[in-house]
Amino acid sequence: MNTLFCTLAQSGWPEPMPTGTLFHYLVISAAMFVIGLIGFVTRRNLIIMFLCTELMFQAAGLSLIAFSRFHLNHTGETFVIFVLTVAAAEAALALALVVLLFRRKESLDAERWAELRG
Amino acid sequence: MNNVIAQLWPEIALFVTTCLVMVVGLSKDRGTRKLCAPISAIGIIVAGYLAATTSVDTATTLPFMAKYGKVLAAGVGLLLLMLMAGTADRQLEDAVDRGEKFEPLRSTRAEFYAFFLFSLMGLMLCAGASDLIFLFLALELTSLPTYVMVALSTRRDRSMEAGVKYFFLGAMGAAMFLFGFALIYGATGSTALADVAYTIQNRAAGTGSIGPLALTGLVLSLLGVMFKIAAVPMHFYTADVYQGAASSVTAFLAFVPKCAGFFAIMLLVGCAGWAFGPDGYGSGTALPPELRILLWTIAVLTMTVGNVLALLQTSVKRILAYSSIAHSGYMLVGVIAGPGPAESTLASNGLAAVLFYLLTYGVMSVGTFSVVAALERRRRATAADAAIDEVDHIDELRGLWKRQPHLAAVMVICALGLLGLPPLLGFLGKLPLFTSALGAGEIVLVVILGLNSAIAAAYYLRLVSVPFLESGEPSTPDAVVPTPFPSRALAGVVAAVLVVVAGLAGGTLGSHAERAGTFRFPTKTMEATRHASQPTSTVSVPPDAAERGPNAR
Repeated sequence: MNTLFCTLAQSGWPEPMPTGTLFHYLVISAAMFVIGLIGFVTRRNLIIMFLCTELMFQAAGLSLIAFSRFHLNHTGETFVIFVLTVAAAEAALALALVVLLFRRKESLDAERWAELRG
Repeated sequence: MNNVIAQLWPEIALFVTTCLVMVVGLSKDRGTRKLCAPISAIGIIVAGYLAATTSVDTATTLPFMAKYGKVLAAGVGLLLLMLMAGTADRQLEDAVDRGEKFEPLRSTRAEFYAFFLFSLMGLMLCAGASDLIFLFLALELTSLPTYVMVALSTRRDRSMEAGVKYFFLGAMGAAMFLFGFALIYGATGSTALADVAYTIQNRAAGTGSIGPLALTGLVLSLLGVMFKIAAVPMHFYTADVYQGAASSVTAFLAFVPKCAGFFAIMLLVGCAGWAFGPDGYGSGTALPPELRILLWTIAVLTMTVGNVLALLQTSVKRILAYSSIAHSGYMLVGVIAGPGPAESTLASNGLAAVLFYLLTYGVMSVGTFSVVAALERRRRATAADAAIDEVDHIDELRGLWKRQPHLAAVMVICALGLLGLPPLLGFLGKLPLFTSALGAGEIVLVVILGLNSAIAAAYYLRLVSVPFLESGEPSTPDAVVPTPFPSRALAGVVAAVLVVVAGLAGGTLGSHAERAGTFRFPTKTMEATRHASQPTSTVSVPPDAAERGPNAR
C-alpha cells in the first residue's frame, strides 16, 4: 500500500497544485473575516450569528498559520492551537446560552429579545 | 520561563481558591455553602499580598505595570466581592429556608464565585502579559466568565437577554483583536511583545512609518479591545447589558473588563511607541500619526456620546453605564498623551495617569453601584420572592437621605468623586490626565475633556440631589428597602471612605502609579530573540535615540 502511494506521488498524479503564496492565504483569510463580519451584522438568527463569529476566528487562524509558514517559526501554529481551544470554550458557552433562550421563548430570532431598549 | 512562573503566584493562588470554591459551593450543608464568599475573600487577599511582595519586571515596554495591576485587581476585587453577596442562588436558598430540599443541580453559587475569581485572574494575567498569545488568553479569560455571570445574575428574562447580547458582541470583539494579533504577528514574526515592539520601532526608525501590515493589525486589535472598555464604535451593548444584569454584576462589568482592556491597549500601543514627531520616528513624543488620529477620534466621540446620552436617561444603572463610557474616553486621553519625557512624574506621564485613574474610577464606581445594589424594591402586597426587584429608576432613590442616610452619603460622595470635585479622589485622578495631555501639546483634547467634565456635572448633580428630594406619592404599592445583605452597603461605605481619605492623602497611591507607568524603550536585549527572517531589512536604532528615548527633540 505504501509503495502504491509513493508511486502515485512520484508519477505526478494527482496533478501538483501550483503552490499558494502568502498573498493568497491572506486574501482568503481577509475574505472569510469580512464575510463573517457582514453575516454577524445582517443575520438575526442566533446560531448563524454565532457561526459568523466562528468564521472570523478561523480567518484569524488561517492567517496565523500562513504567517507562521512565511516566518519559518512555529509561534503562529502554537497560537492557533490556543485559538481553537478558546473557540471551543466559546462554542460551549454560546450553545448553552442559546438553549436557555430557546427554552424561554421557543425562538432563535434575536429580534424577539428586545426588552432592553433605550 | 522560571521567571514567568515566579510572577504567576498570585494567579496560582486564585486558581487554587477557585477549585476550592467550586467544591464547597455544592455542599449539602448550608453553613459550608456559605463559606464560598469568605474563601474567595481569603484567596483574593493572599493573591494581592503575593502580588505586592514579588518583584515583577515583565519583558514588555511597561515592565512595572504588572505588579500595580495585580494589586489593583485584588483591592477592587475585594470590594466587588462584598457587593456580590446574595447575588447567586437567592431564591434557591429562600426555598431551602422554607424546608425544601437543596438541589445541587439547580444551584449556581459555586459557578458564580468561581467565574468571579476566574475573571479576576484574567485581569491579573492581562496586567502581566508579555506575549500576544498570553494577552489573547488573558482577555478571553477575563470576559468569558462575565458572560455567564450576567446571564446567571437574576432569574429574569432581561438578564438572559443581556448575557446573550454581551456574549455575541464580545465574541465579535474577540475575533477582531485576534485578527489584529495575527496581522501583528505577520508583520513582526514574533508574538513576544518585547520583540514586536523592537521590530516595529526599529523599522519605523529606518523607514519613518510602522508599516501598513503592523498598522492594520494594531488598528484592528485596538478596535477589538475598544469593546472591552466600551468605547464608542463598540459601546452599543453597554447600557442594555448594565441594566439587564444585577447591580452587583454591573459594578463588576464596569471595572474588570475595562481595566483589562486598558492594560491591553497600553501594551499594544506601547508596541508602536510614543516617539513620532513631524519628522518621523524619534523626532517627537506622539503616537504614529494614524494611530493618534484613530485614538483621538475615539476618545472625543466616547466622552461626548457617553456624557450626552447619560443626560437623557432616567434609569440609575443606565446613567452609570453611559458615565462609564465617558470615563473610558477620559482615560484614552492619557493613552494619547503617552509617557512624556523620560524621568516623568505622574503629572507628565499619561500612562501613569491612566493607571491611577483606573484605581480611582474602580473605587468610585463600586461606591455608586453599591447604593443601587444595597437597595431593592419590594411589593407591599405579597411576601413572595418574585415581587422583589432591583432598584432602577432614579426616582426610587428619592427620600433616601431620610431612610438610609449612610447610603445617601455614599451616593453623594462617590457621584461627586466621579464628577471630579477637588478634595475627593476623582479630582486627584483627573488632574494628571489634564496635565499630561497639556504636556504632550494636546490642547484641543484638553479643552474637550474640560467641556465634557462640565456636561457630566449635570447628571452627577442629579444623582447627588435625588436622595434629598421628598419621596414620591406614598400610594405606590412598591417600597424601596435595604437588601438583607449588609456587606453590600459596607462595600459602599468603604469605597466612600476611600474616596475621601485617599483624596486627601493620595500621594503614596500616585507614586505607585507613577512607577507602574514607567515606559521602557524596547531593546534587543529585553528578551533573548532567536527568530531571524524579517520581511524587510531592519535598520538599527541609533544608540543615542534608544537611550534618550522619545524626548530627543
